[in-house]
Amino acid sequence: MRAQLTQRMLLSLVLGLLFLSTAATGSCSGKYQGLLEQLRSQADYMQDTSRLLDPYIHIQGLDTSGLKEHCKERPGVFPSEDALWRLSRWDFLQILNATLGQVLHRLTTFQQDLPQLKDLGMVMLYIRGFQSNIHCMCQLLGSSSEAAKPTQASPAPPLPTLASDAFQRKLEGCRFLSGYHHFMHSVAQVLREWGKSPRRIRRHSPRQALQKGAHGTHLFSRGRRLAPSGQLPW
Amino acid sequence: MLTLQTWIVQALLVFLTTDSIGGLLDPCGYINPESPVVQLGSNFTAVCVLKEKCMDYFHVNANYIFWKTNHVTVPKEQYTVINRTASSVTFTNIPLLNSQLTCNIRTFGQIDQNVYGIRIISGLPPEKPKNLNCIVNEGKKMMCQWAPGRETYLETNFTLKSEWATEKFDDCEAKRDTPTSCTVDYSPVYFVNIEVWVEAENALGKVTSDHINFDPIDKVKPNAPHNLSVNNSEELSSILKLTWINSNIKNFITLKYNIQYRTKDASTWSQIPPEDTASTRSSFTVQDLKPFTEYVFRIRCMKADGKGFWSDWSEEASGITYEDRPSKAPSFWYKIEPSRTHGHRSVQLIWKTLPPFEANGKILDYEVTVTRWKSRLQNYTVNGTELTVNLTNDRYIATLTARNLVGKSDASVLTIPACDFQATHPVMDLKAFPKDNVLWVEWTATNGSVNKYILEWCVLSDTLPCIPDWQQEDGTVHRTYLRAPSKGPTVRTKKVGKNEAVLEWDQLPVDVQNGFIRNYTIFYRTIIGNETAVNVDSSHTEYTLSSLTSDTLYMVRMAAYTDEGGKDGPEFTFTTPKFAQGEIEAIVVPVCLAFLLTTLLGVLFCFNKRDLIKKHIWPNVPDPSKSHIAQWSPHTPPRHNFNSKDQMYSDGNFTDVSVVEIEANDKKTFPEDMKSLDLFKREKISTEGHSSGIGGSSCMSSSRPSISSSDENESAQNTSSTVQYSTVVHSGYRHQVPSVQVFSRSESTQPLLDSEERPEDLQLVDNVEGSDGVLPRQQYFKQNCGQRETSPVISHFERSKQGSSINQEDFVRLKQQQISDHISQSSGSGQMKMFQEVSTAASFGPGTEEQVERFETVGMEAAIDEGMPKSYLPQTVRQGGYMPQ
Repeated sequence: MRAQLTQRMLLSLVLGLLFLSTAATGSCSGKYQGLLEQLRSQADYMQDTSRLLDPYIHIQGLDTSGLKEHCKERPGVFPSEDALWRLSRWDFLQILNATLGQVLHRLTTFQQDLPQLKDLGMVMLYIRGFQSNIHCMCQLLGSSSEAAKPTQASPAPPLPTLASDAFQRKLEGCRFLSGYHHFMHSVAQVLREWGKSPRRIRRHSPRQALQKGAHGTHLFSRGRRLAPSGQLPW
Repeated sequence: MLTLQTWIVQALLVFLTTDSIGGLLDPCGYINPESPVVQLGSNFTAVCVLKEKCMDYFHVNANYIFWKTNHVTVPKEQYTVINRTASSVTFTNIPLLNSQLTCNIRTFGQIDQNVYGIRIISGLPPEKPKNLNCIVNEGKKMMCQWAPGRETYLETNFTLKSEWATEKFDDCEAKRDTPTSCTVDYSPVYFVNIEVWVEAENALGKVTSDHINFDPIDKVKPNAPHNLSVNNSEELSSILKLTWINSNIKNFITLKYNIQYRTKDASTWSQIPPEDTASTRSSFTVQDLKPFTEYVFRIRCMKADGKGFWSDWSEEASGITYEDRPSKAPSFWYKIEPSRTHGHRSVQLIWKTLPPFEANGKILDYEVTVTRWKSRLQNYTVNGTELTVNLTNDRYIATLTARNLVGKSDASVLTIPACDFQATHPVMDLKAFPKDNVLWVEWTATNGSVNKYILEWCVLSDTLPCIPDWQQEDGTVHRTYLRAPSKGPTVRTKKVGKNEAVLEWDQLPVDVQNGFIRNYTIFYRTIIGNETAVNVDSSHTEYTLSSLTSDTLYMVRMAAYTDEGGKDGPEFTFTTPKFAQGEIEAIVVPVCLAFLLTTLLGVLFCFNKRDLIKKHIWPNVPDPSKSHIAQWSPHTPPRHNFNSKDQMYSDGNFTDVSVVEIEANDKKTFPEDMKSLDLFKREKISTEGHSSGIGGSSCMSSSRPSISSSDENESAQNTSSTVQYSTVVHSGYRHQVPSVQVFSRSESTQPLLDSEERPEDLQLVDNVEGSDGVLPRQQYFKQNCGQRETSPVISHFERSKQGSSINQEDFVRLKQQQISDHISQSSGSGQMKMFQEVSTAASFGPGTEEQVERFETVGMEAAIDEGMPKSYLPQTVRQGGYMPQ
């Protein structure tokens, strides 16, 4: 077990450093509070469904009561909030960065298929900006002991299959965007907690504490493990 | 001379030689550096290197090199011969220049040849750009600007570079016309720090500004709040509630605001304390405002933490606070007038109107009560500022309150003493003196308690009566100046529009201001409408009344207010026009233009279709009085001098005819005439289609009168009966052979000619003609003669007036001669008469008498030469051209 944790820690560190080293071009502000505030603001911006999900539903003609119910997040695609609460800051940022990378990838296909989504380009730019801030935050945390702590279990998410049916593809896109906004909402919640104790890790959310002792080793609600970085399969 | 020739030859030789070796394209050497850009004040050295081939050919080396700048030889002191092929020149402390430097050699000892040339440009390297700053106008892309530093005199490019921590953005190249700013291509991303710097580069170097790192949200200039509205509250007359709509930036940041306000006529703004508006909001209630006062507001916003830029001011919005009860009792006084009835007196109660800031609304009326000791209260409601009551000689108490929509003012209480009242503490030592452009009044306070003092005064003038004015002072005051204006401003209209009127007035003279004018109030009303009051700042001398009704009579007056009170000026009336300026013009001009256009089109149409219109509406009606002799011949000899206008009708089938020449005196002629007459009869039906009645063809009208006019002795005036006109219709003209030759006759309702009315005359002529066996023709010509008799002389005169060179005396003389000849001739034939007429008609041209002779001759000859006429070609015999009818 110890060996497994060490291995994961090393993997996480390697990937994190790789991310830091490859992405670095400009300089970061170096102010933790300022950076954290920016991350929060970005998360708030991105959880707003009026930017992506609502226009998508409207454009795809899914804005009827019966269909909207099917447009709910598919569990397991995005890390759950509980799982995010359990992550160290470093791991949280890694997971967040990787997830955003996957979101970007998926939104690129949207951009091709749905040119009517006018804000899509702007949202994608914001996601890249979010990643830039994550990079800077990782730089800030990199020198602390926090960053070196072992991560929680990082299961790989499920790999959803793309439906061949056009309607099913619409629904999948809808579910994906719904999950994205919900995920960003969760991220915003976690980041808010960061501000309260800048130097302490909060391992568990208050909500989790109330849950029935499910000491989560699962980042995803289906119990699959989250990869700390890299591709999010769907 | 020999030297010159030698030079020329040598020059040619050099030219040909250089050309043959490609000298112009392949220079003899080169200069290094090729395109130098030299820093101002520095030293510069250029080296000219000759090519071996050229050196050998011209037998030169580096010693032969000399330099020129802008065609001026550089002193040899600046040259350095480096080796056999190269020579350099050095310039020290290069000034600002843009000059040409050439390397030259002297060949054959006397011919200067340019080897190579370069252009030296001097300037300065760019300075480090300073004061780099960026702004993100909400909804637009980020724009950065900087101070470029000193002038470089060189083309300098400024590039704005930007990057995140993880990626770079495209460079932003500053445009030539705006080298100190650049707007990036990408939309700003808030909450991500971006690093920005500027690179300035020219031929002398590249320099980079300091990097700035910022979050674009901290550089935002929000859009101004919009839809600002102002609402008052009926509950509180001192507040106004502002509402507005924030820009979308509120979704990203917390905003703070500046709210400014002023009264409508003030020029300076007051500001709401910033701490009251330090967070995002969309409404605000402004307090501590004056009742019934119009305020103007504006608002702007920026990021709450002060980072970024203030938005522009919003559009101004105004609102009026609700009314409040008058805040002060009006000044109240009385005058006692002697009464005619014993035991009574007439008391005039007078008071001052409250200034707007004390009236707190529109004063609807004043309530006055008059009470005698222990007697019944008398109430009066007055709209004006005075009330005359008839009182007994007893002591009375009068009260006055001003009422507006909200409530009443405090009461002013006035004691009207009894008739026999004697003041126990009169005011002493009353003095008046001018100071600071006002008249001060000072008195010694009385010992007893005083509620208030009343000052009365009037202007002493030789021409004006003493019109007393007054003002009220508190009981504690013993010195004051006369405040209330003694005269109100005279308002007039500067411009009256359909729905607005610009009022103007002159500042009250200082002499009548009696203090400081605080404000003016304009009262205006229609005959049936309520009076509206508008307060105007004292600094203004004009005001625009808006929302007026058109075509309405308005009455307007102004009051000027000092702290003490106000005074109304005279009333002025004006009527708003029914139409706005330019409105009538906007209606009339297009209508006129349309009418003009229609008329023009109509005229053009009529002009184009004039023939058709004339045919249908007023066809040519032959006027017998204007008939004249025509030559009637089967083949018209080409003796008339037709002008070009005649040619226009050469192809016509119908021709207006003025004169018909008749070939006579040949026996053969008459049978031919008869033939023609028969032909005319046969073809009459067919020609009617051409002649179309009386005016259908001018041929009808002209041929016959000209024939009949030969009988000039018959000068009786015939004005009754109808006459038949002959019509000559033909298809040819002049020398053209008509396809169908027609001689026709038409009916006419023209007055019957004299000859027709007097058959005996015709018979006489018939007899004479009958001796020559030409009876049928004479019958025909009788009618013509009869027609001609209508007014032969007048006709001639009319025609003569049209002629350009007619001697009227000769003309009359000729007529007289013709008449006498006619009488003297025993023949008396119609033919002779006709010839005379022809001659007369021909007298339009110069040489009247000669033409008479010539026409006779020609007419005879034509008859002889041509033989029997085959057709009759009516022609105008008019000098100078064709005579249309």
